[in-house]
Amino acid sequence: MKGKIGKSIKKIDVAEKTGGYARYIADMRFESMLHAKTLRSSKPRAKIKGIDIPEIPQGYYIVDRNDVPGKNRVKMIVNDQPFFAEDVVNYIGEPILLVVGPDKEKIIKILSEIKVYYEAVKPVFTIEEAEKLNTTPIYGEDNCFADYEIEKGDPDEAFGRAAKIVENEYRTGYQEHIYLEPQGMIGIYESNRVTVYGSMQCPYFVKNALIQGLGWGGDRIRVVQTTTGGAFGGKEEYPSLIAGHVAFAAVKAGKPVRLIFNRKEDIQATTKRHPSIIRLKTALDDHKKIIATDVDIKMDGGAYSGLSNVVLQRAMFAATGVYNIPNVRVRGRAFATNNVPSGALRGFGGPQAFFAIEMNMHALADHVSEDPLDFKIKHMLKKGDHTVTGGVLRQDVKLDEMTDMVLGMSDYRKKYDEFSKNDDQVLRGIGLSLFYHGCAFTGSGEKDIIKAEVKLKKREDGKVLILIANVDMGQGAQTTLRKIVARTLCIPVDDVIYENPDTDVVPDSGPTVASRTVMIVGFLLDKAAQELKAEWEKAPEVEVHKVYEQPGYIRWDQETFEGDAYPVYSWGTNVVEVEVDPVTCEIKVKGIWGVYDVGTAIDERIIQGQIEGGISQGLGYATIEVMNSKDGKILQDSITDYIIPCSMYFPGIESKLIDSYYEYGPYGAKCAGELPFIGAAPALASAVQNALNVQIKRIPVTPEYLMETAEGEN
Amino acid sequence: MVRAYRPPDFQSALTIMRENRAIPLAGGTDLMVSRRRWSGLSPFFAKPVLFIGHLEEIKRVEIDITNIKIGSACSLASLLEHREIPEVLKIVISQMATPAIRNIGTLGGNICNASPAGDALPVLYAMDASVVLQRKAEIRTLPIEKFITGPGETVLKDDELLTSIIIPKKSYNVGFYRKVGTRQANSLSKLSFQGLARIEEGKISDIRISFGAVAMTVIRSREIEEILIEKSGKEIEKLIPEVSSLYSAVIKPIDDQRSNIRYRKTISLKLLRYFLRTVLISKIG
Ligand SMILES: Cc1cc2nc3c(=O)[nH]c(=O)nc-3n(C[C@H](O)[C@H](O)[C@H](O)COP(=O)(O)OP(=O)(O)OC[C@H]3O[C@@H](n4cnc5c(N)ncnc54)[C@H](O)[C@@H]3O)c2cc1C
Repeated sequence: MKGKIGKSIKKIDVAEKTGGYARYIADMRFESMLHAKTLRSSKPRAKIKGIDIPEIPQGYYIVDRNDVPGKNRVKMIVNDQPFFAEDVVNYIGEPILLVVGPDKEKIIKILSEIKVYYEAVKPVFTIEEAEKLNTTPIYGEDNCFADYEIEKGDPDEAFGRAAKIVENEYRTGYQEHIYLEPQGMIGIYESNRVTVYGSMQCPYFVKNALIQGLGWGGDRIRVVQTTTGGAFGGKEEYPSLIAGHVAFAAVKAGKPVRLIFNRKEDIQATTKRHPSIIRLKTALDDHKKIIATDVDIKMDGGAYSGLSNVVLQRAMFAATGVYNIPNVRVRGRAFATNNVPSGALRGFGGPQAFFAIEMNMHALADHVSEDPLDFKIKHMLKKGDHTVTGGVLRQDVKLDEMTDMVLGMSDYRKKYDEFSKNDDQVLRGIGLSLFYHGCAFTGSGEKDIIKAEVKLKKREDGKVLILIANVDMGQGAQTTLRKIVARTLCIPVDDVIYENPDTDVVPDSGPTVASRTVMIVGFLLDKAAQELKAEWEKAPEVEVHKVYEQPGYIRWDQETFEGDAYPVYSWGTNVVEVEVDPVTCEIKVKGIWGVYDVGTAIDERIIQGQIEGGISQGLGYATIEVMNSKDGKILQDSITDYIIPCSMYFPGIESKLIDSYYEYGPYGAKCAGELPFIGAAPALASAVQNALNVQIKRIPVTPEYLMETAEGEN
Repeated sequence: MVRAYRPPDFQSALTIMRENRAIPLAGGTDLMVSRRRWSGLSPFFAKPVLFIGHLEEIKRVEIDITNIKIGSACSLASLLEHREIPEVLKIVISQMATPAIRNIGTLGGNICNASPAGDALPVLYAMDASVVLQRKAEIRTLPIEKFITGPGETVLKDDELLTSIIIPKKSYNVGFYRKVGTRQANSLSKLSFQGLARIEEGKISDIRISFGAVAMTVIRSREIEEILIEKSGKEIEKLIPEVSSLYSAVIKPIDDQRSNIRYRKTISLKLLRYFLRTVLISKIG
């Protein structure tokens, strides 16, 4: 291997996926395997008064709360979600029991004959209702899964001397992952042990959930990831729930049990991106400079806490975007509602915050009659500046260079002036966004919570095994991690073996989330490879083991949220050009440009894939991906009605990477998976704003919304 | 288990219909979706299924001096390729579904499915299409608006098949179609608009206007169209408010998962005005 590490190689999983022989969970068969189907709550909030179950034929089973040998709680940050409902249900789709058996027809028949008696309890459907507390709280005393406040500088003093105070409120909607492969698990009970196979991002999250649910020692539990057809965060925490289901069912039936969702069920019952309401109050001085901001972030967490508090933290830490604002107060709350639980999705709180802050910057510029881009540039963060949490930006911040590049690529300035003239025939607009993503877990989470371990093993035949718990879900981990190890060891990539993780074989290198895999796990693998190289000749078989060590510069207090919220940041800027149909208000995207600082690209084509996928998913979030819940029920529960972008929807994407190097990443790599998602929505919304000369205050920017906004302003 | 018949020819199909009151399946792109169940189980059909998509007798396009007769089982894709199919119909079909679905979905299926969002319907209403229905002992022909009675409802008898669609040959020199869906490709309509007209000597000699997905069935009003006949550009301009408000009274959309009443109605009327003002009047000069 010579030259730059970033030079693309053939993605390892391409052949088996395009060839159709990759084996997904639905392709796996075990002898005398049974099927399972879930009976779900049809009520958003109710007490269960009783359940009538018909005569169950031999070989069929009902699996419910009484079949959970350990604790009937899915292991999460807060243990509030039961595997199977107990005496209450809190959302439509909440699992109550499984019907398990050999014949699907019979299972459906049994399901149709089960009757659940509910006593309705007044539900909470919106953030506003949750905040008003007009019924008994779903969670705690105040309906908040989390209620945080952070402060920087002296916001009260700054607001006191402000020349101008401007307030704006922004709203963002649900987003559904639409991974191609729906959720699915198979559980097997054999020789006193449980094995769970499934589509997942975090084998050890699943294993730990099973330890708690089964109440067994970890040595009796094995979790194996099967080739995962997309995840986007949707297979971070959710699989723990259904892994429990198949495990309990397998133990009860003594046979392998498979539970695979169909699309409708997947959309109705699994997690989505948190809807949010973000209010920003900003103080400006006489020189049209921002001196303080007060941000209030509210999220709809759904019925159980899940990952809401961490999602909320990420949104809060991003509350001032890429701008240096000296005095800041941020309040963040994640509310409990009787909607389906919200959860992890690419960006993890960042997209909501960046939409709000970017649109707010635009609105402030308009307010003080300044060019929005110049207004942004004059507030831009620089190396050495302090973040909202008082962390120091120690690495280079190349935003100005990146902005210049993207302006050149897109011809933004000229187009902006031209489109701002606003002739009514064709409504064209262009918008720019600036954004970052904090790489890996919050603060010292990698050291305190995750404590990643990796192993590398040289076999007698000279091949090297990567032993980690991270998964390839399409993002390219199989390729990039192999490249890192191969290069450090100076061996061909084909000599590095990296199988889907099996917890009996691999140590816990942490979950495949938070854009951490290459930067954190890849760096550990690089170090392990260096050690292995030194010991290569010592024995025919050599195994090395490495444990995460936190870089010395990181300071973080998880109690007060003070210090370096992330080890390092990746940065980006997007320009989007649109045309809006003057009759129908439909948006057509005409051009997309992006420049990114992700440190070293381990594989340029994979990064390009992340960029193009991220932008497309982000533009979908911004425009056509409409998901509403009415009385707790998701209205768009098929891919006919929940529309995502297809290849014809966008023009080509022109993107560039800038040179940058991070000392604590493998070959200088930082994070790249979530970053490209984040800037798409604000760039698009700014472009629409430019085209129509209206203020965009929510995503998705639907034609319905544009029509109403335009009518409202006329 | 589903009982299914694959008759060798059209007459046998009619016999099976008489004897079994079967459910005809042409391309199956509506039926197989609406009847699908848990993967691995066959779709749910309470009655036997009769495959008709392969029957040559109803896959032909026949042309005579006055009419174009399209076999009900003609695939949407085959119509796009056919030289004699009017361009206005091709424009509509080319925006339906995807190439794969168009290869197997049929025009007859779209009509019999009678969805308010069925995209082929507005143009067929506008062109005064009629449908030929046949059962063992009877053939009848009905105008399409008499055939479709409501969402998913037609006057088709349970032993009857739609055999062909008859479109009178007419030449229009103005055609305007807009389908408004969530995504440009492969999405169902929030609303659609079809305008057809013939302009002769600076006046409108023929005009047809229809709206899709904004009422229980396609909206077409000959009375309102009548107002515009023989009118010049100037006169039409003056009539726009009146015509708009007449259509406004009959456009009755719903709120659903794809759009809302306000948008559907406002945009339908905007498209109407756009058609009258920007397309028609500018053409009249
Ligand atoms: C992905 C996808 C996208 C789609 N996009 C669109 C779109 O953009 N616009 C649109 O309008 N539709 C769309 N559809 C719906 C569908 O493809 C069309 O309505 C198509 O024309 C149906 O034709 P078919 O032959 O497949 O109908 P089938 O499913 O075979 O039949 C539909 C109905 O008509 C009856 N029927 C069919 N033929 C006859 C006959 N000769 N006599 C009596 N009864 C008959 C059947 O019994 C059934 O009730 C889409 C469907 C899918 C799956």
